[in-house]
Amino acid sequence: MNCQECRDYIDPYFDSELDTGDAICVGQHLRDCPECRERLQSREALRGLLGRPELRFEIPETLRERLVSRFRPPAISLRERFLRKYTAPRIFVPLALAAGITLLFGLVFLNKNGLFEHPNASSLVDEVVADHVRSMLATHLLDVPSTDQHTVKPWFDGKLKFAPPVQDFADRGFRLIGGRLDYLNGQEVAAVVYQKNKHIINLFLWPSESKGDGLPRSFSRNGYNIVHWNRDGFDWWAVSDVNAADLQTFAGLERP
Amino acid sequence: MNDEHIRARFEILILPLMNDAYNLARWLMRNPQDAEDMVQESYLRAFKFFGSFREGTNARAWLLRIVRNTCYTALAGAELKGREVPLEEEANEIQDASPLPPAILTRKATIETVRAAIAKLDTDFREAIVLRELEGLSYKEISEVTDVPIGTVMSRLSRARDQLALILSDRKKNDQL
Repeated sequence: MNCQECRDYIDPYFDSELDTGDAICVGQHLRDCPECRERLQSREALRGLLGRPELRFEIPETLRERLVSRFRPPAISLRERFLRKYTAPRIFVPLALAAGITLLFGLVFLNKNGLFEHPNASSLVDEVVADHVRSMLATHLLDVPSTDQHTVKPWFDGKLKFAPPVQDFADRGFRLIGGRLDYLNGQEVAAVVYQKNKHIINLFLWPSESKGDGLPRSFSRNGYNIVHWNRDGFDWWAVSDVNAADLQTFAGLERP
Repeated sequence: MNDEHIRARFEILILPLMNDAYNLARWLMRNPQDAEDMVQESYLRAFKFFGSFREGTNARAWLLRIVRNTCYTALAGAELKGREVPLEEEANEIQDASPLPPAILTRKATIETVRAAIAKLDTDFREAIVLRELEGLSYKEISEVTDVPIGTVMSRLSRARDQLALILSDRKKNDQL
């Protein structure tokens, strides 16, 4: 490779957009050519300046609110949402029956195998899954749609009696897309919503009754995976249709 | 798919991208008020077209393409784009002056200095830099948003970076004088 070719390839090389073969050729040329190395250093110095997040323009709060209210159905109260859980449209009745029968057989099976040790935990798992499924069907996945943890976290303040921790893990493939209030385990809880590829992850959390940091426990229900743990005084429930390994990776990020 | 489901998917896929839409519009329009108008207009258009949004489409590239087209339609309508021609010529002159961009850039460049340097770039170069460096898009995504082949994305980025490096190192000389 000569300098002209290297010059043509230096940007895709710098952006990791070359295939392995070309990248090796550029790498070899760079080792031997100080002038082309200088070009690469210029790119690195430039990225140092352009990589500052403050360079981006933040959307004005008034515009954000205008768009949210325009493109989301009017907010319904938690009480209404809670009631809605039990007034499903008629089309869901046969589905619910089928699910009930499946669940019944499942429970009998679990009981037979001695896996059914925590009846309360189990019904909570079902409630968590039911909430996740409902959030997928309803028009109300997000009360506060935002990929910015500094927008989502303060939004919960004043709406809940506790301040849920909110972190974005976009760099690890789990993108924060927003949050909402929900009703679980007889109380108002925070639902922090993430996206992994095309899958949605609901992370429910509320102040824990049990002390200490429990090891995560995994469950699976009707194709959904669930991971539950206690930490920092919170009960954490992650639920999604992503595969179990991905959900455990996600849980690992949330409890470093 | 009924209206409720379209709304639900729009809320999940498109609404959280407001910040990205605004950032691009702000860089293309160069002022906050026009950027706000463009984002509103873009979201209305996005919602209108969302019925034909296919599963598996890259939502961010899809929305940013609409934002970009909305901005350019407005710019062409206002004939604002014509004002940028002198800047492009100036930029080309800068590039011809030195084939090798300086590696030492001013360290004390403030946010405003860097923003001013990006703002100096011709529109094609500016949007390539904003999409790549500020939005973190891949070449393929930039190619989808800007409707040019990947090879063009590559050469625009390359020239944009050469120009930026020169502008930012010029600043340094001026700062020292």
